[in-house]
Amino acid sequence: MPRAVWSGSISFGLVNIPVKLYNAVSRKNVSFNQIDVKTGSRVKMQRVSAADGHEVPYEDIVKGYELSPDRFVLIEPEELDALDPEATHTVDIEVFVDLSDIDPIYYDSPYYVAPVKAAEKPYALLVQAMEDQQKVAIARFVMRTKQYLAALRPNDGKLLMSTMVYADEIVPAKEIPEFDGLEDIKVSDKELAMAKQLVESLSTEFNPDHFRDDYRDKVLGLIERKAAGEETVVEAPQPADEGKVVDLMAALEASVREARAARTRHPTGEATAEEAEAKPAAKKVAKRTKKSA
Amino acid sequence: MALVEVEGHALKLSNLDKVLYPAAHFRKAEVLDYYARIAPVLLPHLADRYLTLKRYPDGVDSTPFYEKNCPSYKPDWMGTNDMEDVTTRGVIKFCRVDSLAALTWVANLAALELHTSMARAPDPETPTMVVFDLDPGPPAGLLDCLEVGLWIRHVLADLGLETVVKTSGSKGLQVYLPLNTPATHDQAAAFSRTIAQLLEQAHPDRVVSLQRKELRKGKVLVDWSQNSRHKTTVCVYSLRARERPTVSTPLSWDEVEAAADAGDTSAITFEAHDLLDRVAAVGDLFAPALTLCQTLPTLG
Repeated sequence: MPRAVWSGSISFGLVNIPVKLYNAVSRKNVSFNQIDVKTGSRVKMQRVSAADGHEVPYEDIVKGYELSPDRFVLIEPEELDALDPEATHTVDIEVFVDLSDIDPIYYDSPYYVAPVKAAEKPYALLVQAMEDQQKVAIARFVMRTKQYLAALRPNDGKLLMSTMVYADEIVPAKEIPEFDGLEDIKVSDKELAMAKQLVESLSTEFNPDHFRDDYRDKVLGLIERKAAGEETVVEAPQPADEGKVVDLMAALEASVREARAARTRHPTGEATAEEAEAKPAAKKVAKRTKKSA
Repeated sequence: MALVEVEGHALKLSNLDKVLYPAAHFRKAEVLDYYARIAPVLLPHLADRYLTLKRYPDGVDSTPFYEKNCPSYKPDWMGTNDMEDVTTRGVIKFCRVDSLAALTWVANLAALELHTSMARAPDPETPTMVVFDLDPGPPAGLLDCLEVGLWIRHVLADLGLETVVKTSGSKGLQVYLPLNTPATHDQAAAFSRTIAQLLEQAHPDRVVSLQRKELRKGKVLVDWSQNSRHKTTVCVYSLRARERPTVSTPLSWDEVEAAADAGDTSAITFEAHDLLDRVAAVGDLFAPALTLCQTLPTLG
């Protein structure tokens, strides 16, 4: 059973609804440990001084903010504690807005908001009112020591909450140089009609079950086979195009360009040692390294 | 490995970065790229010929092998040009390379050299041209071949016949007499042997008409024996498996004369990358081999 990550209450106007927050997403990244290949034992991290390499005990470690290279302002933990936002244990709803007003770029991590016993009635009331009015609540709350902005939205009789990034955390699009001048591009009605037709032909209802993390499935499959004692040969990674049908000349282009660049580096045609190794004739190339063959 | 689509067919290209010409550092991708780009002028000369693949899977410095029968793992869409094999009473199924997709498939087999028959499928008995394969015996070289080639041209012109000429892409030169009219291999061989012997008599210090090595030193062999049902000659625009990626290149007779006069063959030696620009500029100088109809004369 999932464990609540926060408990407190939703507060708006004079109403208080006691709730708990649960993570709505459990990340399924496969995590690995670091192992010493010679001994098979785990690798232990040690905190050592960059000056002389001696191990620094945890109690001797303080936070330092780098002002300029190797010049730090030291901050004691108590100094930061004093700045911590007050742990109010409330989700303070400030306004209600339309869902479509919020650009998805603001959404960060999603949580389920669950009512505690005896608070089910006011919770259900709030959810239904929001559903009927098609509204989303914007709220602030403190979790651990950080103050969050969050959006609460009704979903099938339940409340979901997404923490949100602050406006000044969004990278302005104008800092992306490729976006410059896009608005000056002219397209003809015919081109637009064709593009729309393409979009239309690929349009469907969003079904998240259709999309799986193939990479994770492969990693887990590999782990299972190895754990079962099956001899597994790790194949060299293929170029990104593998499995994807591409145009002939496009497929050749990169290799041809690289070959020409290699010749320019040594116009006599003499291969460097490094490139000689790229020749499959050099059979000594280890199997698990990516070779040109 | 790259999966590509060529003319609606999915092809797997392998070892694109493999260096097939080590001295020139010329890679397999460039071989495929050359054949894909030269395809428009090459395919008409290839499609109906019985094609022998000379494959160099480990590059030009390794031992090649000849392949007449198209590999059994050929794609289903690829056709074959079939020829009865008189000796085994079987059928040889040659790869039919009549499209960019088929050409790409055989090039992917590292078939650097494409050798073709004198006849066109489906009629293996009728040569559509006569070849004079000029092969210099050292210290004679390509320059000596040019002179002999010009002699052949003039002899045949006197008979009212036009010829086309190409480098072998190696040390030799090949003069072709387009026929595209009924003839037999025996007739073609007899005619070319007569011309070879004629030149040998006229220039005994420069020309031989017999294969024997000891006769060839410093002379040019006019090899007429290529005019046979069983023989193939390197196809025009084929790469050669030499130190550098040279190409069997059609020439104009003016170019042959100019190179012979200058005593320099560098202007008629072409590599893969030269060919594409050249073909864009001059077109297919070898087209008459396919289209020009001439009757093989009977020599008294």
